[in-house]
Amino acid sequence: MLPIRIRNRGEFSFATVLIGGAAWGLWLVSDLRFGTAMRMGPGYMPTMLCWIAIGIGAVLAIRSVAVSAPPPAAWAWRPVLSISAAIGAFMLVEKIGLLVCVGLVVLVASLGDRETRWSHSAMLAAGLATFAALIFVVMLGLPMPLLPTLLGY
Amino acid sequence: MLDAFAPIFGGLSVALEPANLLYCFIGAMIGTLIGVLPGIGPIATVAMLLPVTFYLSPVSALIMLAGIYYGAQYGGSTTAILVNLPGENSSVVTCLDGYQLARQGRAGPALAVAALASLFAGVCATLVIALFAPPLAEMALLFGPAEYFSLMVLGLVAAIVLAQGSLVSALGMIVLGLILSMVGTDVNTGALRMTLGIPELNDGIGFVPLAMGLFAIGDIIRNLENPEARSVMTGKIGQLWPTRDDFKRCIPAVMRGTSLGSILGLLPGGGAMLSSFAAYTLEKRISDDPSRFGRGAIEGVAAPESANNAGAQTSFIPLLTLGIPANPVIALMAGAMMIHGIQPGPQVMTNNPDLFWGLIASMLVGNAMLVVINLPLIGLWVSLLKVPYRLFYPAILVFCCIGVYTLNNSIFEVGLLILFGVVGYAFLKWGCEPAPLLLAFVLGPLMEENLRRAMLLSRGDPSTFITRPISLGLLLAAFGLLLLIVLPAFKRTRAQAFQEQP
Repeated sequence: MLPIRIRNRGEFSFATVLIGGAAWGLWLVSDLRFGTAMRMGPGYMPTMLCWIAIGIGAVLAIRSVAVSAPPPAAWAWRPVLSISAAIGAFMLVEKIGLLVCVGLVVLVASLGDRETRWSHSAMLAAGLATFAALIFVVMLGLPMPLLPTLLGY
Repeated sequence: MLDAFAPIFGGLSVALEPANLLYCFIGAMIGTLIGVLPGIGPIATVAMLLPVTFYLSPVSALIMLAGIYYGAQYGGSTTAILVNLPGENSSVVTCLDGYQLARQGRAGPALAVAALASLFAGVCATLVIALFAPPLAEMALLFGPAEYFSLMVLGLVAAIVLAQGSLVSALGMIVLGLILSMVGTDVNTGALRMTLGIPELNDGIGFVPLAMGLFAIGDIIRNLENPEARSVMTGKIGQLWPTRDDFKRCIPAVMRGTSLGSILGLLPGGGAMLSSFAAYTLEKRISDDPSRFGRGAIEGVAAPESANNAGAQTSFIPLLTLGIPANPVIALMAGAMMIHGIQPGPQVMTNNPDLFWGLIASMLVGNAMLVVINLPLIGLWVSLLKVPYRLFYPAILVFCCIGVYTLNNSIFEVGLLILFGVVGYAFLKWGCEPAPLLLAFVLGPLMEENLRRAMLLSRGDPSTFITRPISLGLLLAAFGLLLLIVLPAFKRTRAQAFQEQP
């Protein structure tokens, strides 16, 4: 007997996420009233949908074993991490102000590309910070601090 | 018949006010810009600009956002023809013949045909909206919850058509989108569902961080994966004006593309992309010599480009008459309307006629502007394509962050942006298209609401969906569309078009 081999890794990963996510969802809504088809409770639709998701996940999982496809290329961790970190840096905007924050986002994001030249990134950071501050805070008056408020004033 | 167009003139007086003219122009410019640039589309752009619309009048806001959507259809064809990359998803099929034409030294006529076809389609689609929106709004009054539900089922099936990858994966994405839309407070009972005890989730997952994460952030990460390989046509674009033979071939193709696009735009789930696909398939089918397609057939540019513009515009009809957003971009515009306290639906036409007709008339103005923006200024857009990606993705990122944050002043939603960005990248890796998920997320709450009401009215009997004639018709249409997807000829175009994508 042949051992079971996954022939379509992308589809298999999606199936896993679908089944896992739906199982989690089922657990989360398990204490909500289900109701009847005529008077549906808050749990009716989520429960039904989670079961459908599990069904679709099962079909995908079976297919991923039966039908082969070229494996997806490996994850490019460098951009994943640098872009996530750049957005994470923006989460500090209320503390460090828009000007510093935008510069930080640009510099951290630039780490994602190997061909980055630092002189270019620094100019881009300065330019974008000024532009964003002018458009969003000065012209449109969106409520964001421009300068760091960390130290208090 | 002429009476039907009379309100457009009233609308024109709104659209021609200097402020609205300015916002129409800004929208058309931004639309062309993001259309030309691959890696950023109308979904992310409209989402970014949503907070800005707080500060505009509702008419100006919608005129600008609409301009971005149909402007992107113009810009997208430029990149498709010159670089063989779809600047916009709806120009995927334009690459097939457009790039071949460019290689044969006929980039000029291809660009001109794309712009003129779009203009013709844009004007026609505007008249279609003026003609059909009022009766449709009246018909909406006949719609009960069962009909609404079936209509949305049809929309979700249509979304599968434009999904890359397998049918089952697309179904999975739809169900996932529906489940995500259930997060938050249940409107009927007030019960909290799947909020994990996080108070920020009581109002549900934010649409903007979800849309931006899946589309903008996921795309940025994927684009950074590979070193840039973009070869802009360096040769001369050549003479712009098409030959007489081109015109002879294109005129019927544009007519068919426009009609098809106008009809498919009406579908929830329809819009620019579905229309361009269907138009290309149709042209190839009825052509005397199908082998010309893919080798530089000018009809292969004219038909999809007219169809995507027509589809983009008529996809406003479901929102303005039924209150159903047909696709994620339109859903964001519904958001813009609600920011100003206007509930999308059949009552917009009677309660806010200036808004309704002003928006429609602005499309005439905008399309005229777009031809000018695109053809004479083509050199500007070509030079823009030479700006390396590494200088422009940090800018996209900054504007995404600012857009998400300022919408609700919520740091939490910026955090969600990271999560959905990584998820979006994973989906791309696994060959799952995120568009169906997003549409399902938009329609989810409406579907649940109408399903609950329909079942309550029918006392729990599901046959209500097939005993009511309009509902039955919609479900049969959904079934027919599913059959169409598995049809070999259509399947081949779909596969071929997606193969061209990098």
